[in-house]
Amino acid sequence: SIDMLMSSEKEEDPDVIPEDSSLLTLRIRKKALERREETIIVDRACRQETLTYEMESHATGKRPDDPTDLIEEGELLLTLNIFYPVIFQKHKDHKPYQTVLVLGSQKLTELRDSISCVSDLQIGGEFSCQPDQAPEHISKDLYKSAFFYFEGIFYNDKRYPECRDLSRTIIEWSESHDRGYENLQSVKMEDYVFNDLSLKIGFPYLYCHQGNCEHIIVITDIRLIHHDDCLDRNLYPLLVKKHWLCTRKCFVCKMYTARWVTNRDSLAPEDPCFFCDVCFRMLHYDAEGNKLGEFLAYPYVDPGIFN
Amino acid sequence: MSAVPGLKEDCEELLDAFQQADTVRFERFAELWRERRFHTIFYGRIRALERNKITKKTLDVAQQYFFPPYSFQIRVGALYLLYGLYNAQLCQPKQKIRIALKHWPEIQKFQLDLLDAQHYDAVYIFRRLRLARAFHFTAMPKLLTYRTKKKIEKSYFKEEFKDPSNRVNSLITNDVLEELMNIHDHYQKMKCVISADKSQPDKALSLIKDDFVVNLKDITLEHQEWQQNRMKLLRNAKVAPETEDKKKEETLLKSEGSERANALARIKYKSYSAVVEVSRSRRHRQVQLESSESGPSCGKSPGRSKKASRTPQPARRGGMQVAEETVTRHIGMPIIVEEDSDE
Repeated sequence: SIDMLMSSEKEEDPDVIPEDSSLLTLRIRKKALERREETIIVDRACRQETLTYEMESHATGKRPDDPTDLIEEGELLLTLNIFYPVIFQKHKDHKPYQTVLVLGSQKLTELRDSISCVSDLQIGGEFSCQPDQAPEHISKDLYKSAFFYFEGIFYNDKRYPECRDLSRTIIEWSESHDRGYENLQSVKMEDYVFNDLSLKIGFPYLYCHQGNCEHIIVITDIRLIHHDDCLDRNLYPLLVKKHWLCTRKCFVCKMYTARWVTNRDSLAPEDPCFFCDVCFRMLHYDAEGNKLGEFLAYPYVDPGIFN
Repeated sequence: MSAVPGLKEDCEELLDAFQQADTVRFERFAELWRERRFHTIFYGRIRALERNKITKKTLDVAQQYFFPPYSFQIRVGALYLLYGLYNAQLCQPKQKIRIALKHWPEIQKFQLDLLDAQHYDAVYIFRRLRLARAFHFTAMPKLLTYRTKKKIEKSYFKEEFKDPSNRVNSLITNDVLEELMNIHDHYQKMKCVISADKSQPDKALSLIKDDFVVNLKDITLEHQEWQQNRMKLLRNAKVAPETEDKKKEETLLKSEGSERANALARIKYKSYSAVVEVSRSRRHRQVQLESSESGPSCGKSPGRSKKASRTPQPARRGGMQVAEETVTRHIGMPIIVEEDSDE
């Protein structure tokens, strides 16, 4: 009965702004809409907008099949912004980031596994002489160490024997002279869940992997889980926002994503030059597979691979 | 986050009208809402992504009015406004209202106050919102975004909505007055002890007025009353149509102001002119009344009393000037000059 006081009597189309509105908001909005109608030919959502909206809302209201995976009341939900490590000039004003939702009871290692960074997929080595033998190992498998830095404590990933304590260098450096950092500690990442940490909202923290690939992590929001959120534990950490990076296309065909990059290439017009697999082989190798010309070739993984 | 243009003005206009109505009944609010057809605020061809953002910002703007220092009536109005906006929104699933942890005790106190005052419609509305799971319980009130702001928008409070900030009262609280009283008594006793006549303090030692604590309390009460009257008049002055009525109101306000100024001047005159005659032995060091143009001081510090001189006091200024901060040549402490004063 109280609800009836709110809505109007007749059927209204929410798309149409009423003519004689007394609300300033609507008058301004109407002018903006009219301007849009004049200038834009086709007014519909572009790909990026659809993607952003889908990512934000695809998981709302989801329930798990297995009732043990249901998230209980009182669970905390953190929103983290993880910034990309690339530094482009055009990103001067706002650095691109991805937004991840994480449960309070999840371990730090789960977050680490969910962060997808292009440097994890790099294949090291020069393969101009043996292009077919580019190994399948990616950096993710070779260099497994990583750490988080929250509030003076380094959380190192020690799940595998190959993992090294990357933070040891930093701790030794800070202890060598009195540099003004109070005792920095180093602990194991897999022993901690987010509920154990003490965090500041809005303060930049660090995630470092591959030895030198550093991501800034900022926590933007902590709140209690809500009935309308996604309550399936398996879907967390949940990616809700991602920056769209344009992929680099092959220089020759301009159609396929680049898979090879060459330096000091006598056959290529610029240095470095990007090629897709087919064009690369066609240009640099003859029918028998002999190398033509002088060049250095590296396998290339485009940052836009996660689009 | 850039603001939704026009939204703050619309909300303030509605809350203003609600405040004018001088009631906290939901029916009245609903009438005002329907008059303005406020539910159309989300209309206009907005696509889903943009709509989510706009609704979030709208709810954020509205919930600011829900907390102190806004006055009780405005807070009830904000509650109704939140209810209306939450139900009128077009997003599916509905955007929620963010409430920070630090605000929860205040809200619970607010709810208890509502219950005590028997404003059951407001309590019911709040319950409806809780049952509809309209709240996100967050750590911080504002969701952070990272865009470089061209200019930092300072959030401002609309003056009329605030409870009149009673700085004088918050400074001179009951505790402070009690403390002052105690110290004053102690001081008098000390004076008695060290003076020759044990029953009362030496004349030479009486440097402050005996009843200054009581005066202080009176002044504070007077100030508070005046402030309340002024707020009421201000509000009425806004509503009154532009006829001589308005002028009358303004002159009334002004005369209130000048009355106040006169009262202040009188008090100052009294306090500064009450100079105790020093004893004969110290005649060469009579205290002289220095006329100062200092601004109002509430007698908080026991000022040195001056010789009772009936010389006309140039410090008496009419009009609004004393009420404002005048240019102070020096702070009100008088100077003791080494000469005989005239009597």
